[in-house]
Amino acid sequence: MSARYILRKLAQAIFTIVAIVLLLFVLFRMMPGSPDRAIRNPNLTPQQVAAARARWGLDKPLLPDQLVAYIESTLSGDLGYSIKYRGQPVTEVVADAAGPTILLIGISEVIAIVLGLLLGAYSGWRRGGTVDRVGGGIGLILYSMPYFVIGMPLIIIFAAGLGWFPTSGMTTPGGPTDPWSQFTDLVHHLVLPVLAISLGLIGGYSILMRSAIIDTRSEDYITTARAKGLADGRILRHHAFPNALLPMVTLIAINIGYVIAGAITAEIVFNWPGIGTLTVVALDARDYPVLEAIFLLVAVSVVIANLVADIIYGFLDPRVRA
Amino acid sequence: MSQPLRGRTVRLLAAAVLAATVLLPAAAPAAAADPVVLRVGTTQDLDASNPFNTLLVSGYEAFQLTYNLLVEFDKDAHPGPGFADSWTRNPDNVTFHVRDGMTWSDGKPATSKDVCFSWGLALAAIKAKDVVGAGYLDPGVKDAGVTAVTCPDPSTVVVSTKDQSDRVFQVYVPILPEHIYGKDDYKAIAAEKFDPPLVGTGPYTMVEWKTGQFARFERNPTYWGKQGFADEVVLQFFKSSDTMLQALKKGEIDYAHNLNPDQFKQLAADPAYAAVAGKANGWTQLAFNTYGTGTGKTIEGGGPSTKALLDPAFRDALGYAVDKQALVQKVLGGFGDVGTTIVPPVLADWHVEPDTLRTFNIDLAKQKLDAAGYTLDGSGKRLDKEGKPISLRLVYPSTDDNYAKSADFVKVWYGDLGIAVTTQAYDSATLGTLILPSSGKAKYDIELWGWSGNPDPNALLQIFRCDAIDNTSDSQYCNPEYDKLYDLQLTQAGEARKATLAQMQNMIYNEAPYDILYYDANLDVRRTDRFAGWQNMPENGTPFFTYGPLDYTLLTDASAQPSPTPVASTAATPPSASGAPATAGPATPAPSADAGTTSGGGSNTLLLVVVVVIVIAVVVVGLILARRKPGGADDDE
Repeated sequence: MSARYILRKLAQAIFTIVAIVLLLFVLFRMMPGSPDRAIRNPNLTPQQVAAARARWGLDKPLLPDQLVAYIESTLSGDLGYSIKYRGQPVTEVVADAAGPTILLIGISEVIAIVLGLLLGAYSGWRRGGTVDRVGGGIGLILYSMPYFVIGMPLIIIFAAGLGWFPTSGMTTPGGPTDPWSQFTDLVHHLVLPVLAISLGLIGGYSILMRSAIIDTRSEDYITTARAKGLADGRILRHHAFPNALLPMVTLIAINIGYVIAGAITAEIVFNWPGIGTLTVVALDARDYPVLEAIFLLVAVSVVIANLVADIIYGFLDPRVRA
Repeated sequence: MSQPLRGRTVRLLAAAVLAATVLLPAAAPAAAADPVVLRVGTTQDLDASNPFNTLLVSGYEAFQLTYNLLVEFDKDAHPGPGFADSWTRNPDNVTFHVRDGMTWSDGKPATSKDVCFSWGLALAAIKAKDVVGAGYLDPGVKDAGVTAVTCPDPSTVVVSTKDQSDRVFQVYVPILPEHIYGKDDYKAIAAEKFDPPLVGTGPYTMVEWKTGQFARFERNPTYWGKQGFADEVVLQFFKSSDTMLQALKKGEIDYAHNLNPDQFKQLAADPAYAAVAGKANGWTQLAFNTYGTGTGKTIEGGGPSTKALLDPAFRDALGYAVDKQALVQKVLGGFGDVGTTIVPPVLADWHVEPDTLRTFNIDLAKQKLDAAGYTLDGSGKRLDKEGKPISLRLVYPSTDDNYAKSADFVKVWYGDLGIAVTTQAYDSATLGTLILPSSGKAKYDIELWGWSGNPDPNALLQIFRCDAIDNTSDSQYCNPEYDKLYDLQLTQAGEARKATLAQMQNMIYNEAPYDILYYDANLDVRRTDRFAGWQNMPENGTPFFTYGPLDYTLLTDASAQPSPTPVASTAATPPSASGAPATAGPATPAPSADAGTTSGGGSNTLLLVVVVVIVIAVVVVGLILARRKPGGADDDE
């Protein structure tokens, strides 16, 4: 793998991040509405409203003043203060939300990837078999259901109905104070949301893996392996699966990159304090600094994930290296 | 070759057992020595713990638990003892007596200097023509006509006022500890983080706040009032009222604020819950764009689409075409009251019914329109005085389903009059800008939105002033006579003020820049198994999210009583179809609930067994998928 290949990919990544962030900055500030109009305060005079807008830097024209101010402050690491959560620095607000999202979506993605790939591989290998038809059908149905449609019945049955799990939230307020109990409390709260999100994601992976395996099946080296007398299961595990995995690397990388963006409907229905919820709240309140920080975070995350995927792909498949 | 299999199976089974042990302890019931925690659910996320920076009811509820106002509200929402326990009205001041022996939750003495400091912040901002923080609280000081606040001794506060109005008893500035924040001026206090744990003189002080999740308060042992049964209070913030409902059903919260009518009705019939439809201090209205009335000004490319909207006779006639009773039944599920004047009926001291009430009568509406000069053309369209068919743009926020439903009804009724209506939903921030003459060009004809107010009617009266245009006004109404009356009532109290307010209410009703559709209700539901002693505040309101922390201190242990205290039924008409009472009042004995447990769960052994079985099943299926051989033949290498 040449240094030039990596450097070129790196440069592309940086350029992409900068372009996305600037474009989104301009687009969102061009949107009608502004933070001072999101909540109607009958007590404020127009002068006070104008002073507030000046404080938020909204009284200057969008291009170039606001844009330049944004670029300057971001490069110096100052992401500003939240408009909705007055007085709280944006970095704190976003960091507080990032942890829970990475935990929830990260775990759900891992489970969905593992189970989805296994299910897809087996379905593709035994195309037309029971697992393929039943598993594929269920997977597709779940994949097309929004998370809250999967989540609400889970809450109603397992949380409110049977009482096995909490109905929502990440921790029990005023709950246990010792680390082990806090950990088990967290796990207890994670079960239903993770279940809902993994179920929703499995279908995507299994469908793609299935077609990748089907493509691989018809390759010459598979025929050779069969001719050598190798058992079917072994061929699947040692020859077909690894080769079919290649196209999956890209999909997995993109999805891992998006983990930080959270799953809005899932977080809302389970009251999970993550980036998804924060995005909705900030959007409604026109909290530009928070929104901009979230874009930056997601853009960096996705682009880096893709960069890593490109590099890994280069290692896995010698044909790709520039 | 079988080695890896065994090793892998062992590892997976070990993981399954670990998962089971991890899940088991979390299902254990609470021990008997745990504090009694009152959990209150709301869909309104707390935006700031700094009282000067919050714009929301949840923020007010939170800071009212920690801090006292100088004068608070009793169970009838009338001024009552707070930081001050008594006062005397003198010709040009009100002299307050600060409660003796009161201390902050950190033990320091609470005296008049805390009041002089806190009110001083607001006064300094007013002098500088500025605001403290978000600017929500200090206008109370300005409206009260306060000129100075002095503290001659630790027990006395003298508030000098310009007039004899009673607004000085409606100031929502919290009394903050001078020994902690004393060095801040009014700008610095707005920048203070107010990170918990906070020090206050209220019944429960904030000790923890996880943004977007919950705020936790602990009992203040030095509180001067009654100590409530709960040791801790948790305000939990939900993003979806469906999730909040499930949490209430499971017992994870004891109180749910603002459910929707369907959820409310579900629980109203169940004696395990008490459902209270409290009259809200606010309304939903049709605001007509009257821009240009009296001034003749127009907006290039914007403003009302027809001059008819500037004619009070036209607006008055439209008021006869709206069946408000039907809206209350069909949109609010019966939980609300028909709209009339701009002081909501829940403010019983100030509300008056209009002298000439409009009734729902489409024929009368048509007659009045004809009489006012708005006649039908040959194809059934109503024309304005310029000969143009009248077509009105009705805009509303997408935040609440009720707006969309009401808009659809209005469209049909106005259609009967020959007036075309096009409806459009926007998000709050966009709509808020659209209605401004400056930035949005006021490109609308009717705005369907709502307002909610304070215990004093002042806040909602302001929006009809001429200077509210391009700020809070959504009707662009301007009437110098109204402004004069507003300034007058600011200086009055008692009967004199009531008379002025009656004039103002009738003026707005007759001129009809607003057609108030209904006064919504707050639909709160609580469990009856853990807490008793609930008191609505005021009588026809709800216990929580009102004007103060009083009800938190009145709560008692439900299991200590043989039957739940019957809750006063509210005046809201329950729909006859459901037949369910709006509040629970049966004399059935309360279930002998275990006050400590929060979950209604089954046995823990069953849980453990089922979880282990499920995990093992997943693992086994995974193994099978990876390992199964075709046709049953043994594999060889």
